Amino acid sequence: ADIISTVEFNHTGELLATGDKGGRVVIFQREQESKNQPHRRGEYNVYSTFQSHEPEFDYLKSLEIEEKINKIRWLPQQNAAYFLLSTNDKTVKLWKVSERDKRPEGYNLKDEDGRLRDPSMITMLRVPVLRPMDLMVEATPRRVFANAHTYHINSISVNSDYETYMSADDLRINLWNFEITNQSFNIVDIKPANMEELTEVITAAEFHPHHCNTFVYSSSKGTIRLCDMRASALCDRHSKFFEEPEDPSNRSFFSEIISSISDVKFSHSGRYIMTRDYLTVKVWDLNMENRPIETYQVHDYLRSKLCSLYENDCIFDKFECVWNGSDSVIMTGSYNNFFRMFDRNTKRDVTLEASRENSKPRAILKPRKVCVGGKRRKDEISVDSLDFSKKILHTAWHPSENIIAVAATNNLYIFQDKVN
Amino acid sequence: MEVQKEAQRIMTLSVWKMYNSRLQRGGLRLHRSLQLSLVMRSAREVYLSAKLEEDEEGRLGPQPCLGEEGAGQPPLQPAAAASPGPPAPEERAAPADRGNAPGAVDPEPMETQDSSGDAPPAAPAPGAGRRPARGVSLPPPAKASRKRRSSSLDKPGAAEAGLVPTKKARLEAEEEEGERQPQGQDGPFPSLAKVLQTRFSGMLRGGPPKGPEPTPGCRPGDGVLSILVRAVVAF
Repeated sequence: ADIISTVEFNHTGELLATGDKGGRVVIFQREQESKNQPHRRGEYNVYSTFQSHEPEFDYLKSLEIEEKINKIRWLPQQNAAYFLLSTNDKTVKLWKVSERDKRPEGYNLKDEDGRLRDPSMITMLRVPVLRPMDLMVEATPRRVFANAHTYHINSISVNSDYETYMSADDLRINLWNFEITNQSFNIVDIKPANMEELTEVITAAEFHPHHCNTFVYSSSKGTIRLCDMRASALCDRHSKFFEEPEDPSNRSFFSEIISSISDVKFSHSGRYIMTRDYLTVKVWDLNMENRPIETYQVHDYLRSKLCSLYENDCIFDKFECVWNGSDSVIMTGSYNNFFRMFDRNTKRDVTLEASRENSKPRAILKPRKVCVGGKRRKDEISVDSLDFSKKILHTAWHPSENIIAVAATNNLYIFQDKVN
Repeated sequence: MEVQKEAQRIMTLSVWKMYNSRLQRGGLRLHRSLQLSLVMRSAREVYLSAKLEEDEEGRLGPQPCLGEEGAGQPPLQPAAAASPGPPAPEERAAPADRGNAPGAVDPEPMETQDSSGDAPPAAPAPGAGRRPARGVSLPPPAKASRKRRSSSLDKPGAAEAGLVPTKKARLEAEEEEGERQPQGQDGPFPSLAKVLQTRFSGMLRGGPPKGPEPTPGCRPGDGVLSILVRAVVAF
């Protein structure tokens, strides 16, 4: 129940939110850097914990609705409070996280414990005053956006207009206004009239970071569609269609399912999109639809193991991918608690491991290597000894600094650049 | 032969996974069901094409039954995966198989014995006139035979021709019921659940198949599989 299911930095990187399988959200806040200890960079401490979603039961369909948080997305900060969206399979909620460090004291009709005072004992009036108190962080649900999705929500994305956001399930994408909870616009609907003709589902969706009319969604067939909401109310027809022709030499029973895209992310510049399928990460230029401009092999040694991965269900794992702040490095997770980073400029890549043994505070992570057959060197791990139950599906990168958050099952690791 | 065994193992595994996914918390996952059905489809294509090759080789020998069967099976329409072809020709081929030695790697004997009840409703079912089945892909045999006895119903376009107005309404009510209850034993696939239970109970109790050895006596028929594929995807 404590398995982390989503990780997200806010827009300044000051806060880091995690959602878990039990419906809880935990927010970490970065310590203010102190001049006394300049070598000690701001560390993240727990700021707030709250139960976002509870398990529900849909009586009409006799379905249990899981409370697992699928995604968290922050809104940009506009006042002292923080706002975030969190979603499970069916319901999106807008949470307000605010601090309280003063409280009113000196009420007339009740005493400090809250008990009502006997009116006959009150002889004079006083004005309550605000007195300092221990900092309290409270989270309150401000909006609940429910009953709009028949299928399971896989993505939410806040629009750059900060007034609307979208939620996507397997077959439909809805556009919401933050102020209106009882209706939403359906902007994409790929449900066929005859469900037997269903061949693909929506797997992820995201708004363009700057153009509030543009969004992309990925499919289980390995394609990405870019849509422009100015073109029509229902964006069933795409403006751009990104697909790479399949390599016939790689065909197997499982070719179709490993081409399913599990995550799609715009670069911060808005010029590129990155997609993650089971074995690769691809970077696409929005101006070129027929193939990606870069393809990175995450764990190609698994290509020959697809049958076993199908047996143990690992082939269905949905890995996410992230950009760094300058769009020069991309990161994604793998098995055995490994995660990979690819530098787009130097074309160098590294495999690192998130584990307790390797992660003493201030220890430097050692690059790992998976040995693919042949002689195994010391320090290398052979493919067969990889632990497939230890998977890193969710990672996040600070918007401007080299700080990364890596979720390894029920542990959260935060790594920073080496400080001299 | 190896390829055939492997394909069969994967098909069996997929069915097992599909069955299990219905029991999962959170309900049937559309994406997962779609992926499972895709794998099953590829495995079935490979299996059928491998089988066809084997049968053609066998046809060169003096085996009239096989020849009949080889001819009875049209050049596999598995490519048109959504097409209604596969179950019907397999059902037709099945009786011819009875003549075959049961020792041959043949899923049909198992299927014919059990599915003789299912075959009549299943065979006409994949026609184009078949209802856009939410929950009706595998209609309860008794009910289906009641509904489908009329020959006009077999013809594609019968529904559109308005020949069956009342039955359509009832089916739609059934469909809605199916929509409302995609899960649970008494859900939209009562017969599917029953079929899965009776046919695969032994296999399911034993867990997913491991290793390359075929599971004797419990090989899912292709006809049922194709119906299962549609049933699970169209929920």
